[in-house]
Amino acid sequence: MSMKSLDVIRDEHRALAAMLSGMRTIVQGIEAGRLKPDYDLLASMIEYIDKVPEKVHHPKENEYLFAKLRLRCAAALPVIEALEEEHRLGEARIATLRAALEDYRQQGETGFAAFSDALRIYIADEWYHMNTEEGQILPLAKAHLTEEDWVEIDAAFLANDNPWQGPAGEYAALFSRIVNTAPSPVGLGG
Amino acid sequence: MSNMLLEAKEIHTYYGASHILHGLDFHIREGEGIALMGRNGMGKSTLIKSMLGLVRPRHGRVLVRGDDYTRARTYQTAQQGIAYVPEGRGIFKSLTVRENLLMSARAGIDGRREWTFDRVMATFPRLGERINNGGWQLSGGEQQMLTIGRALMTNPDLLILDEATEGLAPLIAMEIWRIVKEIRKTGIATVIVDKNHAAVTSICDRAMILVKGDVVFDGTSEEIRARPELIQQHLGV
Repeated sequence: MSMKSLDVIRDEHRALAAMLSGMRTIVQGIEAGRLKPDYDLLASMIEYIDKVPEKVHHPKENEYLFAKLRLRCAAALPVIEALEEEHRLGEARIATLRAALEDYRQQGETGFAAFSDALRIYIADEWYHMNTEEGQILPLAKAHLTEEDWVEIDAAFLANDNPWQGPAGEYAALFSRIVNTAPSPVGLGG
Repeated sequence: MSNMLLEAKEIHTYYGASHILHGLDFHIREGEGIALMGRNGMGKSTLIKSMLGLVRPRHGRVLVRGDDYTRARTYQTAQQGIAYVPEGRGIFKSLTVRENLLMSARAGIDGRREWTFDRVMATFPRLGERINNGGWQLSGGEQQMLTIGRALMTNPDLLILDEATEGLAPLIAMEIWRIVKEIRKTGIATVIVDKNHAAVTSICDRAMILVKGDVVFDGTSEEIRARPELIQQHLGV
């Protein structure tokens, strides 16, 4: 069985983790006084997380991986339901983060702590979510899904050639802009 | 084979008394992509250097398109359409980005000039923003882009990338991989040495694992991705 989709899922997680890690480093830099806030850059990073992981990655997991595993492994049900609930809340969570950034943009320095807290919570939730998927769901999927299941799941995930660019590469420009703008050591910007 | 580009046959390479490569075989065909993997010190870079004449193998042969290049000088091998992006980058820091690129511009061995200055600029827009900056003023990621761009200016048939993302932040590394993937689509054969097995096997068709100067796996990227125990055992992740 190929199970290539598992690699794609992990790759997509790495892409999200890289973006989150970059945001955390930038916020730490602002907090330490090394960096000035670039609100547009932070907004672009949130936009990327919203467009790619939230709207592309999570629906694929729900529709293909989780749907098949539901049928094959009863023990996975509580975990799947918890993860699906987190997916459902994803849009609201990203909206909270975006609102915190807009408050920070409006209020300046006084809004920093609230944005930093919102980001910290978002990152912690995402790490927990990805660890649950990789630590519990992927091993169960490997153990219980059939060859036919994998053919269908692989087809859905492998349609996405470059996970961090969006299904048709439509977010490559956004990604490149972030990399080119983000200050060192996160990106190539000044 | 008519489409064989670069081969190493029964290569034995030493550093002093240390026997690094133990009769190793390697080949890459036109248009092929190979992920060359292994832990540190297993002979990946030594294999590359042995084939390019940067280190002399004590035994064995190196063939470029079937011709013997075992004793050739590095520039002679490079002139056969083989571009090398070394570990540590090796840009000319006293030259500008433009000068670094233009100094390496040449036609491919069949006279084609697909990779022009403008095309490299389009592939690496960031370099365009830094075109008059000196090499010493570039960040690590920019230097890496410049090194790859410089290699493309030679219109190569084979591009060898040794640890292209070493020491780069995750976002920059992903941008490099995105660009390398685009380059692969143009049909340039590619050897990629990197520790990020997930990234390189998603770009390359074939994967090789070296352990202590021997090949312990040579198969498709699909095969290696389906065998996590091999990755665990030999790449230690």
